Amino acid sequence: MSVFPFDGLAGEAYGPGSSRRHRAALIIAADSARLVDETGATLAEGRARREARIAGGPSRVVLPGEWVFECRDHGALDAALGPARGDWLIRAEAWHPRLIAVVAGCLLGVWLIWRHGLDLLVAAAIALTPPTLVEAIDRGNLAAVDRMFAEETGLPPDRQAGIRAIFDAIAAAAPPPPYGEYRLVLRDVPGLGPNAFALPGGTLVLTDDLAERFPDDDVIAAVLGHEIAHVSERHSLRQLYRSLSIYMLVALIAGDVGPVLEDVLLEGNLLLSLAYSRAHERDADALGIEIAARAGYDPAALITFFEALDRIAAPQGPAWRSTHPLSADRARAVEEMLSERD
Amino acid sequence: MSLTTHRVEFSGRAGTYFGIWIVNLLLSILTIGIYSAWAKVRTQRYLNQNLTIDGRAFDYHATGLQILIGRIIVVAAFVAYSLLAAIPLFAVVLPIGLIFLIPWLLNRSLAFNARVTSFSGLRFGFDGSYWRAFRVYILYPVLAVFTLYLAFPFVARAVRSHVVNGHRFGTARFRFESGIGPFYKAFLMAGLWAVGTGLLLLALFAPLLAGFDPSAFRTGTGDPDPRQVLAALVPAAIIVLAILPAGFIYQAFIRNAVFAATTLEGGHAFTSDIAPLRLVWIGVSNAVAVVFSLGLLLPWARIRMIAYQAAHTHVTVNGSLDTFTAAEAEKVGAIGQAYTDIEGFDVGLPV
Repeated sequence: MSVFPFDGLAGEAYGPGSSRRHRAALIIAADSARLVDETGATLAEGRARREARIAGGPSRVVLPGEWVFECRDHGALDAALGPARGDWLIRAEAWHPRLIAVVAGCLLGVWLIWRHGLDLLVAAAIALTPPTLVEAIDRGNLAAVDRMFAEETGLPPDRQAGIRAIFDAIAAAAPPPPYGEYRLVLRDVPGLGPNAFALPGGTLVLTDDLAERFPDDDVIAAVLGHEIAHVSERHSLRQLYRSLSIYMLVALIAGDVGPVLEDVLLEGNLLLSLAYSRAHERDADALGIEIAARAGYDPAALITFFEALDRIAAPQGPAWRSTHPLSADRARAVEEMLSERD
Repeated sequence: MSLTTHRVEFSGRAGTYFGIWIVNLLLSILTIGIYSAWAKVRTQRYLNQNLTIDGRAFDYHATGLQILIGRIIVVAAFVAYSLLAAIPLFAVVLPIGLIFLIPWLLNRSLAFNARVTSFSGLRFGFDGSYWRAFRVYILYPVLAVFTLYLAFPFVARAVRSHVVNGHRFGTARFRFESGIGPFYKAFLMAGLWAVGTGLLLLALFAPLLAGFDPSAFRTGTGDPDPRQVLAALVPAAIIVLAILPAGFIYQAFIRNAVFAATTLEGGHAFTSDIAPLRLVWIGVSNAVAVVFSLGLLLPWARIRMIAYQAAHTHVTVNGSLDTFTAAEAEKVGAIGQAYTDIEGFDVGLPV
């Protein structure tokens, strides 16, 4: 049975378009190889090319006419045709104490991605985001807010003009807008309480309730400074891209970590994105008081605002508590920032 | 013609696979995910080349570049989707569009996977109609909700029928024909285990936890009550002892039923004789080992599972495995594959 190989390597051959297995021999000459079966008939002849190999699998040699020769004598093929492409990977993967270093390398790599890789991905994604899309997000959301929750502002015209004047001063003192101009929109949003929010393209919405409860110009300036800081720092896009990046990395890399750990990682991502959102609130507080001070307002008014908010915020529910730090903590942090400035 | 029965042989080893897996992981991390496309190819090639029937191996022929291109397109689509979903109008329209896209993506994923898999030097193939995929993946599962999932076995059978009947080996078609009985049996056995064990656990824990008030601890300053630890263990115990085993029981019965009901053109048949409780033991101990080793035992667990399944799978060949021939080859891109990879959908045949 095993006498067959007429001066060649013993193995099996598969021809094009058929599952037929041939006992075959590969006879390798200087720059050409010949595949023969046990009757001595030539199956294929010409240049032989080795395919990348993998541990436990056969060596595969591809010949003209889509013939494939399989054999487990890797050493003989190495000698005749040279090593297969990517053989260094097989050596790197071999069961060996050095794999402990690879495990350590993985942990170090995760840490590096966490510290630097994510920021790189987010920066790249932001650079690739078309500005028109961000403007469309603003328009679409404002239209939806108007249709579903908001009504035209009921503030007296002189108060409106006063707020707009503050806004113009703040916008002039703020870093340049990343997408289009900063715009202020005054709305009566009954469900939202005393609140202000920013859309990523530069639209700031301030509720009537806030304007009525806080007649102090300095408070309005501090709140607008905070919201404008969210826009200039592109916080909402950063948060979106960061959690998307983590989701993709976990799905693509840790898809190989198995379903249980993948779920743990994705749940952890949810908690971490809340922490990230709170960090952005603190950043916006810091930059906001800078902007308000530069525009000539008293940034300490932000403390008044948070203290007042702390008294009335309870019915507002978890929005303040989860994505934002506690108002009392923010008041204290702003106090510290201001004492450092002086 | 003579019938010969071959056992499926799996020669993968935990140590070798661990090396491949951990090097894959390192290179994927260092390239921020780009290498994961090549890592997938390497893993699939290792698993396929070590799976043989009658000494003939399976193989996997996708290239890393193919997978990478598919993934880049899908990742770009994900990003665009999330950005556009921030616009309220699109937030309504996009998910509806996705519902109609998913059957196409799943079909493409099955087709890609089949096209790049070979056995004995010959490629598999998959042809599935879009509307059939729409019915089995979208419509039937939604309709099953209205029957309080009592009709769920019909959905499970329809999905298997779509997957198996769409596959071919060369030009030879796979055929799946089964009554509904085995599917209700799998559903019932899994349900009985989950409910029975769940109630048993609650009956065991309830007396121990009597009078325990979880909210008392957040404010309390006294010694920690051991019952606090016990209360935290209840959900974990229910998952590990009731829900996870029920899943494996279901899987075992379904796998045996699907293999028994499948034939390959030319009079070839398949047998799977997985013992449900044995699969529960392997599956649950695997899960526990993986969690407590922080994932390091995952390669061992995976090899152990495949080896058990292979050892209980037989192919009865009518005549010879030499007589299959190739069909017209159609090019299939890797977009569907990338989508199911990222979403973690498991399509395809359990081999």
